[in-house]
Amino acid sequence: MTGPQFDLTVVVPVAERPIALDQLYHEFSRPLREAGYSFEFLFVAHPWARKLTAVLATLRAAGEPVRLIEVAQGGETTLLKVAAANVRSRILVTLPAYLQTEPTVLPDLVTQVREGADLAVAWRAQRRDSIVNRLQNRILHLFVGRLGGGRLHDVACGVRAMRTEVVSEIPLYGDFARFLPLLALREGQTVEEVPTAVHRKAMQGRVYGPGIYLRRLIDVLGLFFLIKFTDKPLRFFGLVGASIALTGLFILLVVLIQRLTGTPLADRPILLLGVLLLTLGMQSIALGLIGEMIVHLSAPQQQRYRLRRTNSPARPDAA
Amino acid sequence: MSLRPTLSVVVPLYNEEESVPGLVDAVRSALAGDRTWELVLVDDGSRDGTAAAAQRISAVDPRVRLIRLARNYGQTQAMQAGFDAVQGDIVVSMDGDLQNDPADIPMLVSTLEQGYDLVAGYRERRQDKVITRKIPSWVANRLIRAITTVPIRDNGCSLKAYRREMLDRMHLYSDMHRFLPALAAATAGARITEVAVRHHARRFGQSKYGLSRILKILADLLTITMISWFRERPIALFGLGAAGAFGLGMLFFGFSMLGVIDPRPRVAHAYVLPAAGILWLVLAWYLVMIGLIGEVALRTAREREDVLPIAVEQPL
Repeated sequence: MTGPQFDLTVVVPVAERPIALDQLYHEFSRPLREAGYSFEFLFVAHPWARKLTAVLATLRAAGEPVRLIEVAQGGETTLLKVAAANVRSRILVTLPAYLQTEPTVLPDLVTQVREGADLAVAWRAQRRDSIVNRLQNRILHLFVGRLGGGRLHDVACGVRAMRTEVVSEIPLYGDFARFLPLLALREGQTVEEVPTAVHRKAMQGRVYGPGIYLRRLIDVLGLFFLIKFTDKPLRFFGLVGASIALTGLFILLVVLIQRLTGTPLADRPILLLGVLLLTLGMQSIALGLIGEMIVHLSAPQQQRYRLRRTNSPARPDAA
Repeated sequence: MSLRPTLSVVVPLYNEEESVPGLVDAVRSALAGDRTWELVLVDDGSRDGTAAAAQRISAVDPRVRLIRLARNYGQTQAMQAGFDAVQGDIVVSMDGDLQNDPADIPMLVSTLEQGYDLVAGYRERRQDKVITRKIPSWVANRLIRAITTVPIRDNGCSLKAYRREMLDRMHLYSDMHRFLPALAAATAGARITEVAVRHHARRFGQSKYGLSRILKILADLLTITMISWFRERPIALFGLGAAGAFGLGMLFFGFSMLGVIDPRPRVAHAYVLPAAGILWLVLAWYLVMIGLIGEVALRTAREREDVLPIAVEQPL
């Protein structure tokens, strides 16, 4: 590659509930063009989305700067990583394939990154989508808000701008691309929010099946564990295990005292519960210890801190 | 100066703006006329002017270097970042709050040169609050010493000297700086001793510790115990646990056998006690499996990297 060829690349993972891609392209390229940036739109899609991506050939034929990369495997995180590896600019903008925010926010996000932020994320401060959507977002932030030190208002917003390298500097896997700003904060990157509004056409409520909510819940739990305990699994498993084991021990003690005062030990089915809890607690602690062993053994391979970029702005970061 | 310094002093700093100039002056006068040295200041994502203060000094004195972490990672990571950056063959670490006295550095270094890999400072007359600092620390040190058998009276004192060969074999993570001597002994085979050092009352800023750490320290203590004793044979630890669980299970089965000779057989002898016995056997089985996973993890790690502990040929 011979240096950056554009100011920025807009990466569109064609994954969830996409709209017509030519409409998306026209909506979101306009403010960038007006701001005077040279850019390219990079669509990443699964091969089974060809019905949607067919229109890109037409755009291309009309001379629009669009590219399409197909990946036959992986979720949104994989799509993002594949895209980042194929970006030919210093700045990368991610855009969900539907109308999430007002298009006018894009130049502002790019400005933040040009001024030194590692990542700038749109914050849908002015919501005009359905009450269902708002409620979903509220509940999500109830859980994940604290993980970012309470600094981020709209973690789940997919409209973001960043230095292209940020994608490779953050350990991204599974479904964690969704929480990119939180992970970036954890890696000591500077994250800025740009307030904007929900897209004026995004009025209809989106309700999903219970499966989606279950997956989100697992995502959030996974994220919580990842951020709080990956370096110290025993603090989590040990606390859980010790509480369970102590409950079991307490039950056994009560049964034992009653045995000494006359009630035969073997006639107490609750004895079983006591033993069950005790063994369960010990299992948790053993799992935590194995986790610690793995962390300890991998310590030589892992650098667990990041140095500040020398040209980053002298702005103290949140932990 | 292109000369590589022989002594590196590492100081993690978090919101120590006021302490920095005094710290640098104290290090300068302590090491004046001595060997070539460098002072590595590690700014652990401070929110005050710590980095700027350090930057001002390092701009005029090339012996003072500043390393800035991207965010506040905590003392362990800050120390490791400093260790990763040092150039000297002898490394000294200390706190940035002026409670340690840099005047002790030459003494630590000369002790190190008598044939040790780690010399830990021991705060003889500690100037801290009794209830919140000294008593918990006394209990913790007793526990750590008893469990790890590394004879260090004061694990909490940051003023320590190390050989670089030893640091290259040891990696700090999580909050392991508290157990640094035990970790050094377990992973690098460090030869360790301790010497008394001075300790001053805090002049600036806030102490960054509290009482709330006890649960965390207990978990870490369990971890360091495992690492100290079973680092190269995880199956032994879990096998030991499995044997205990198996024994308990057998005990319950034994009691249930009493039903056979009991003239008035009880339902419990046939159900409750054997069931409890089975639970223990299940735990034993599970612990063996976990131990095997530990062996897999160990083998994988050793395939990637196999570093031998420090070995010294002795004159005969």
